[in-house]
Amino acid sequence: MLEKIALIFNYSIIKTTIRYSTPILYAALGVLITQQANMLNVGVEGMMLSGAFTAIAVSYFTGNWFLALIAAIIVGIILAIIMAFAHLKYDADIIVVGVAINLLSLALTRFLLNNVLGASGFFRSPYIVPIPKVHFDFLTKNDVINTLFNNYSMFEIIGIMLVFIIWFLLFKTVWGLRVRSVGLFPQAAETAGINVYKLKFSTMIFSGLLGGMAGAHLSLGYSKLFVENMTGGKGLMGVAAMFFGGGDPIFTWVGCLIFGFTDSVGSRLQPYGLPSQFVLMFPYITTVLFLTLSMIRRIRRERIEKSSLK
Amino acid sequence: MRRSSYLNLLITIIISLIAGGIIMILLGHNPFKVYAELFKGAFIGKFNIGNTLGRFVPILLTAIAFAISFKVSVFNAGVEGELYLGAIAAAWAGFAIQGLPKVLHILVCMIVATIVGALWAAVPGVLKAYYRVNEICTTLLLNYVAIFFTSYLVNNQLSSHTGIPQTPKVLPSATLTMILKPSKANIGIFITLAVLLFVYWLIHYTTLGYKIRSVGSNPFFSDYVGIGTKKIIVIGMLISGGIGGLAGGIESLGTYNRFLDGFSQFIAFDGMLASLIARNNIKMIFIIALFLASLKNGALGMERFTSVPKSIVDAIIAIFILLTSLEGLINIRRKVKTIEA
Amino acid sequence: MDFKLINKIIEMININKSFPNVKAVDNAGIDLYQGEIHSLVGENGAGKTTLMNILYGLYQPDSGKIKIRGKDMESLTPRVAIELGIGMIHQEFMLVRELTVLENIILGFELGKFGRIDFSKTKEKINYYLDNYNLEIPLNKKVRDISVGEAQRVEIIKTLYRSTEILILDEPTAVLTPQETKKLFEILNFLKKDNKSIIFISHKLREVMEISERITIMRNGKHVNTVNKEDVSIKELAKMMVGREVFLNIKREPCKKSKKILSVRDIYVTGEKELSKLKGVSFDVHRGEVVGVAGVDGNGQSELVEALTGLRKIEKGDVTFKGKSIKNLSPIEIRKAGISHIPEDRNLRGLNRSFTLYENLIANHFNKKPYSRLIQLNKKKITKYGNRLIKEFDIRPAIGNTVAVNLSGGNAQKTVVAREVDMNADLLIASQPTRGVDVGSTEAIRNTINYIKKKGVAVLLVSADLEEILSLSDVILVMYEGKISGIIPAEKAREDNIGILMTGGKVK
Repeated sequence: MLEKIALIFNYSIIKTTIRYSTPILYAALGVLITQQANMLNVGVEGMMLSGAFTAIAVSYFTGNWFLALIAAIIVGIILAIIMAFAHLKYDADIIVVGVAINLLSLALTRFLLNNVLGASGFFRSPYIVPIPKVHFDFLTKNDVINTLFNNYSMFEIIGIMLVFIIWFLLFKTVWGLRVRSVGLFPQAAETAGINVYKLKFSTMIFSGLLGGMAGAHLSLGYSKLFVENMTGGKGLMGVAAMFFGGGDPIFTWVGCLIFGFTDSVGSRLQPYGLPSQFVLMFPYITTVLFLTLSMIRRIRRERIEKSSLK
Repeated sequence: MRRSSYLNLLITIIISLIAGGIIMILLGHNPFKVYAELFKGAFIGKFNIGNTLGRFVPILLTAIAFAISFKVSVFNAGVEGELYLGAIAAAWAGFAIQGLPKVLHILVCMIVATIVGALWAAVPGVLKAYYRVNEICTTLLLNYVAIFFTSYLVNNQLSSHTGIPQTPKVLPSATLTMILKPSKANIGIFITLAVLLFVYWLIHYTTLGYKIRSVGSNPFFSDYVGIGTKKIIVIGMLISGGIGGLAGGIESLGTYNRFLDGFSQFIAFDGMLASLIARNNIKMIFIIALFLASLKNGALGMERFTSVPKSIVDAIIAIFILLTSLEGLINIRRKVKTIEA
Repeated sequence: MDFKLINKIIEMININKSFPNVKAVDNAGIDLYQGEIHSLVGENGAGKTTLMNILYGLYQPDSGKIKIRGKDMESLTPRVAIELGIGMIHQEFMLVRELTVLENIILGFELGKFGRIDFSKTKEKINYYLDNYNLEIPLNKKVRDISVGEAQRVEIIKTLYRSTEILILDEPTAVLTPQETKKLFEILNFLKKDNKSIIFISHKLREVMEISERITIMRNGKHVNTVNKEDVSIKELAKMMVGREVFLNIKREPCKKSKKILSVRDIYVTGEKELSKLKGVSFDVHRGEVVGVAGVDGNGQSELVEALTGLRKIEKGDVTFKGKSIKNLSPIEIRKAGISHIPEDRNLRGLNRSFTLYENLIANHFNKKPYSRLIQLNKKKITKYGNRLIKEFDIRPAIGNTVAVNLSGGNAQKTVVAREVDMNADLLIASQPTRGVDVGSTEAIRNTINYIKKKGVAVLLVSADLEEILSLSDVILVMYEGKISGIIPAEKAREDNIGILMTGGKVK
């Protein structure tokens, strides 16, 4: 029994945790930025899916992963611009627009998969060039250190850096202060001479960039193939992680890591007889539990804050 | 609803169709021919119009389910999950319970489906009402849980062991009578219309409807006046989930006569969209649900006869949604702020 | 009185501004000399705030001219206005509660290189102003944790930090005690000596007469007159504001108080801010008596009312009504016990703006016979009931199917009053009953309170309007930082002793 547990919980789980959590992290950071401006971007799922498809397609046709990445980012930004216009200029409900973008992405990626890549259901090809891994020769000397610190995808490393960069941007820069004020009390920002529209627009674009990157990592850095609807709720898990983190980038990252962890554990349990559907259910149930726990935590905190007895 | 809104809707439909036409031209097809096949596939012939009606039923019901949750300010994106659970529950009751006369058997199956759907929706409902958990996330995520769970059941305990992931066929005493054979239309349409009328009466003519409308539009006022906002939110979700489950029941007992793994291609999302576009106005929901059903059904005929893929229709629908959302939708999210960052 | 007649620093001429339902500014204008304190007076809805919002660039006028330092201005925005030296302190403070005082002050005008904020340089600059004007504010506290008086000082520092030369204040004394008002006037005079120009919006005529040199009166969006302070009396100002003779004081009904009906014993109640949590409040209310609760907004009055009406948790202590405990009962049980409630925010709580007049009026009875049977509503009876109340309380427009969002402030409030008074409860709790209400409706509502008091109903009146408290109450409780700082019977109550209690001081 203990051996079985050791097989599941060995140190290589750290790597799989980081790997599984990275696409969710990019999505979560994208949602976090717009949430600070009081916009809930559920369209990040569609941005990811479109980004994933674009990355695969461009990598296949050009053999260049960097171009594929740029293309995915551009597509993410285009979708973000559509969302921003619809919501900011035409007063469309941001949730509806987000859902529309998701559906549009679903339809368009399926359509292009059939008609441009000539495939049905999924697309895989030896011509696809993936995002490279970062390999340090000097680390191969020690087995443990090698597993823990070597051979990460570039994106996984950048993802972690992004957490701290975004924290700095939000809390130590002019842009960050203004974004937060716009999200908390837009009238106050307006009377301070801030252009609320432009600022919100900029957060949306940032979100599209990150969403596109998330998608590129999902297809090119992760699995090297594209499957219809391959994001499967990962964008939403990003939203959940963002709520879990209460809008703080570092706690959000913790949330993503926990999702990645449960995902890893789930797949390791599969060979031990856990039906595949339950493994698949795992991350979703975990997310719901998380959301609940984080709200319970918040409510409890508020209750104490408001109490007159001390 | 004012005449101008009907006009806006018409214009948006036309623009979306034109956009679709442009895509068709770019693909080298004749849009008029394609749309003609689309129209034929939706309406011409007993088979076609029957199937359009068959698709219309679940879209309309899920639209109503969503509209009700919306009335209590809850964004129930989990109707798809309620649909699946209700479907498998009804299918199980349909083949497992024996010796009942037809009317009773169908009634029992429908009640089971409704209760299952209601209880499933109650979970995110309670989480939202009492813990302020964002329901968009929970309901969307729980969809996956429901779909995977039913998939597990249909491949294991409830399997018909025929190699295809489906339950055994429901007994004849539980089958909804077909109309417009050989299409998939059945008397579920009458059940649906009855539900529509019931919901309309409930919302506009009863004390419960007063409470629901009050909570959805102003929870602070509702608390102050003595309406238990939290309870009503849960009740709203129960009704919403119940109708979603009922829709699943009709699919199992009428359209497919069993539960099939993955039978719904996100029907509930079509319903949700119909409701959002119609801004919860019952008459508009009816029209838009019909529009979506005809597009989807017609797309099958279109694909068969013109080799234009179905996903074009999905793209047209997505463009349509985007355009209608620009009509300056009332900002519904503003009313009950769930979570602040 | 020293004002430099060098030039008109601001001129607004023939300004027009319409919104979908109303013409807010109708060919009105104002001008301002440098170094002048100029008051802009009028009732709620006269157009004063809108006119100033136009000057500040928040709204664009439909037509008219704006000249700043002699130059014509087209398309002003807040950014441009601030750069020209105009600063505005709104009635509702434009402070982000979750951010610190420092962050609020610098918002939009942050110091630093390459987008990064230089916090130490910023603190230096702010401290310079704090020392110069002898102001004290906690820079690192979040705005939600500071008092109202401090918040107003933060707003003032904001304007100094932005090098404001022309300051617009919108109803600044609405949230201040008499003593804090005095301090504010000292600051304003200091600014005036520094050659800054000030527009002072208010409807408190006594203060206006004290602080200003010239006064502009607006009514219904129009410009009525601009006068020098020396040439006018308060009575004349009031008449110009309202358009008719106004009785500024309603005579208090003599009190025939009888049995004790409400007894509050040492209650501890949760609060939104630290200073508004109730920490040991006790008092009694008798039948036929009006107990007034005075105090600056935010000292626990809202929490007190919510605690008594079942909308907030009482953590310790007890409340008995007619002999039975009503502590932490649900709102509907409290109503059943015989307490009705006019809430302080009619738009949030008092009414459902998307419901019709009928639906709002029936809100206390919709679940009972004959207005509903089993679960079905009886629309005919509901209509009849609504029509009766509309007539009795003169609610306009007298069309029951009007959706409540279309009602004016006064009529909306009359709807709430009608619904609550018709319950014939034994205790009416009225919170800010005439806030934002026109003079006519205010008179009607105050008369209603006197009327039910005569009939033996107990009234707990909570109001930040000291004049209202003084004119209606038989005994006055003053709340300060979650406790009662003093109880004064009507005969002994005056603005100055109440004012001292409002700041937490003591009186004999």
